[in-house]
Amino acid sequence: MTVQTHTQHTEKSAGDIDTLDMVAQRLDQAAHTASAMTQLSTQGVTLSLDGAYQVQDASVARRFARGEHQLGIKMGFTSRAKMQQMGVNEMIWGPLTSGMQIEEGGTLDLANFIHPRVEPEIAFLLKKDLCGPVSFTEAMDAVEAVAPALEIIDSRYRDFRFSLHDVIADNCSSSGFVVGQWRRDLTQLDNLGMVLEMDGAAVEFGSSAAILGNPWRSLVAAARLASERGRVLKAGWTVLAGAATAARPLTAGNYIRLQCEALGDVEFRVRDSRAAATAA
Amino acid sequence: MMLKTDKIEIVAKQLRQAAASGKPCAPVRSLLPDGDIEMAYKVQAINAQHGRDSGRRVCGYKIGLTSPVVQQQLGVNQPDFGVLFADMCVADSGEIPLNAVLQPKVEVEVALVLERDLDMEMPTVTDLIRATAFVLPAIEVVGSRVQNWDISIVDTIADNASSGLYVLGNSPKKLDGLDLSLCGMTLRRAGEPVSTGVGRACLGHPLSAAAWLARTLVKLGEPLLAGDVLLTGALGPMVNVNPGDRFEARVSGLGSVSVGFAAA
Repeated sequence: MTVQTHTQHTEKSAGDIDTLDMVAQRLDQAAHTASAMTQLSTQGVTLSLDGAYQVQDASVARRFARGEHQLGIKMGFTSRAKMQQMGVNEMIWGPLTSGMQIEEGGTLDLANFIHPRVEPEIAFLLKKDLCGPVSFTEAMDAVEAVAPALEIIDSRYRDFRFSLHDVIADNCSSSGFVVGQWRRDLTQLDNLGMVLEMDGAAVEFGSSAAILGNPWRSLVAAARLASERGRVLKAGWTVLAGAATAARPLTAGNYIRLQCEALGDVEFRVRDSRAAATAA
Repeated sequence: MMLKTDKIEIVAKQLRQAAASGKPCAPVRSLLPDGDIEMAYKVQAINAQHGRDSGRRVCGYKIGLTSPVVQQQLGVNQPDFGVLFADMCVADSGEIPLNAVLQPKVEVEVALVLERDLDMEMPTVTDLIRATAFVLPAIEVVGSRVQNWDISIVDTIADNASSGLYVLGNSPKKLDGLDLSLCGMTLRRAGEPVSTGVGRACLGHPLSAAAWLARTLVKLGEPLLAGDVLLTGALGPMVNVNPGDRFEARVSGLGSVSVGFAAA
């Protein structure tokens, strides 16, 4: 009887791993081909928190297999309001890869995205590895520079709707990021005014305080959460601390700029190569 | 048929009674011509005069509706203003009795204090910069004498731009060297950021809002004067108040200001 139970358990685990891998493949496919998919939670795929991060790992591994490498991590749900909205009391995180990087002042091609949105952030550049529960001082000591940044989120799920575990499995919607000029002056970051402009018009207004009250707290949390999954934040990585305002959808022709008090500007443009191809 | 002046007096009295009794009244817009902003300001002026006549001192103005989102909600494309009385000023770190303001909410603003009159034709931003003695961070406690904040543009203007009380920081700063466009704003309740924003959220720049007011008041023949306090408009969303709440506001470059509300 005991043996039988054990066998059943083993079979179930093997089945789970297959499922996780299949789910990861579908998510990666959706990202790679820029086509939306149905939410896992509504397809009857029930993931645990751990399972969701395992799917994330497996889908990011597929990116690495295509030649991408990791450039850092992003933090999500870094405001109390967002955590309440999702019914959680913890942040989420996901890797940033080389394929997601957009040059400052460069151009994003909508053809590579499903329904991308942009949000203003603060970025940290690490000069030392950072791991485990760290103090505020240790976190500061590991940072080389800070910069204003724009993150492009693009849920692989239809209508940008998802459960907590859906979004973790989907690499926390991360799909692109643009980092402005790095500054070594690690100035006070807890109340920097931020204005997101679209085509020259200010559309979102906020302060870096919206990121956990102080973006440094997000870096401390990033080190802790990563270590809980056996990871180390590596020297040279970029950590995106979280959004300071609501996200805005992107359309072809947009000129996007973030103005951040004390840290300066970061900008990019949006085009759609499919439209250009049609016109030609 | 009722005369216009009678209607204005009736509306003014209704709002005064709501304030005095502590019982919000029905919206007043149905008593005035649809969307008649001029009439609404006449109602406001009557109650301001009523205040003066009962010994209250006018010490400045507040500017409202400085956010594009709020303007859209009310279907207007300009800000509005109300009168500030000296007895509406609460000391920094002070406590406000619960019944002091009807249906209170708080928002954070940049306050300007003038050292020159702005009585020239069409005062500009440069006139305003020359006339500004110093800048302070401010918490405005807005309130509405209208039930459930069910306001149109006419309701809020008639109701003195939904003003209540205001709290000013104590450490004046010169305009020189301040960046009132990108200054960050954080309003915290028990340490939690409940509203965040930035200078530009106020009509593009707090000085632009103030310049609008200066021009508007010159046109009305009641120019801004040396000593006037101007609350230039919210830098972020306003926040509901619960009994016992304490708020701390910070504006980059201007320091902080705080206020509490009495527990129930």
